[in-house]
Amino acid sequence: MTLAEDTGPERGGDDLLAAEYVLGVLAADERQIASRRIDAETDFARLVDGWEVNFSPLAAAYPEIEPPASIKPAIDRRLFASTASVTTPAESRGGLWSSLAFWRGLAAAAVAALAIYVAVPILNPPVEQQQARLVASLAAEGSDVKYLAVYDAAHHEVGLSHVSGERAAGKDFELWMIEGKNPPVSMGVIPAGATAHIVVSPAAQQKLAQGAVLAVSLEPAGGSPTGQPTGPVVAAGDLKGI
Amino acid sequence: MQGFGVHKVISAVANTLQSPNLPEMTPQDITKLIVRTSMKDRAAFDLLYRQTSAKLFGVCLRVLNDRGDAEEALQEVFVKIWTKADRFAVSDLSPISWLVAIARNHAIDRVRARRKPAADIDAALDVADPAPGPEAMVVAGDESERIHHCLDELEKDRAAAVRGAYLKGESYAELAERHGVPLNTMRTWLRRSLLKLRECLER
Repeated sequence: MTLAEDTGPERGGDDLLAAEYVLGVLAADERQIASRRIDAETDFARLVDGWEVNFSPLAAAYPEIEPPASIKPAIDRRLFASTASVTTPAESRGGLWSSLAFWRGLAAAAVAALAIYVAVPILNPPVEQQQARLVASLAAEGSDVKYLAVYDAAHHEVGLSHVSGERAAGKDFELWMIEGKNPPVSMGVIPAGATAHIVVSPAAQQKLAQGAVLAVSLEPAGGSPTGQPTGPVVAAGDLKGI
Repeated sequence: MQGFGVHKVISAVANTLQSPNLPEMTPQDITKLIVRTSMKDRAAFDLLYRQTSAKLFGVCLRVLNDRGDAEEALQEVFVKIWTKADRFAVSDLSPISWLVAIARNHAIDRVRARRKPAADIDAALDVADPAPGPEAMVVAGDESERIHHCLDELEKDRAAAVRGAYLKGESYAELAERHGVPLNTMRTWLRRSLLKLRECLER
């Protein structure tokens, strides 16, 4: 598993991992870790891009095969169903995500969290702000999924402790950050297990520190294909200082 | 490689002022379509699909080796292209390579998420690969691409393993099984090949 032994620690470890990712030889969990790093680390993303460029001439060997005519309408249905005039009543599947009351609740929770964040330092000036830890208990009505989330600002990661509730076969839990009225931002698929650590991108760090809401949705294996939640929210909660 | 980067967006936007719908799409045309797709232009997205879906379906089919799966994957790939088109601007890839990378990576993630197939069936279906097929031969004839030259410097079976891994997205575990060597041996082989490739590419 350690790449350093093959190449020396200075260069190569990450570059070789990038090459293995592009070539496609990594196992599912290793690919997930690599793809999270692509999103979070510009330097690593550049290495991956470099190998994509190197290998791209090999793609000339892929033949062109006309897909069935049914594919494009199916794509349009997935992307634009809500604006099309004819839609199947698939909205019920959205559950909590499409519930206005839920979103209003979340927004209120976020405002409350922000108020605490603003007020607390005024009352008690923090000794060392970088040491901040925020916690959230993630749960939702009608769902048995519960997580305890701790945001560790010093280490730029969210630690998750799985309390209860299992993912359905072939599905994954995905963690989202919701800040204000902005669309949810994916923080990655939550690895299975009692505890998990998710690295937080620099852009997300500041928003988390300000007390964003965390939510967990049920997604197809590997995470939402659209970049936005596609399944029901099974747990959510706002981050609070401790 | 050509100098792609943020400026490619600027030139693509400038190009939109020119007459659209050339019969033969150039990389600049595909770039323009991706950029317009990132601006949520559905007509551009439709045209991009018409121009590139056959290639991307070829990628999905080769990696997934199952028509139903590949059709599902192709849908997901174009959903990704619609939602992530803005990221093209910050990549170093040419437009078609960027699209192929999305399709390949998605198909590989999908094939990895499958339950591991029975080893004997897998091996029986897939013994015959190391010799390059006619397509690979044609590609290998193109001297202008460094990667082909550098692959030729590897031992034949190692080069075939790298090509096979790329085209079919085989995992270390699958490669090890096919070549009848332990997983770690396969890892070591392939990493050495990658290091040699890198050394050659940088020369």
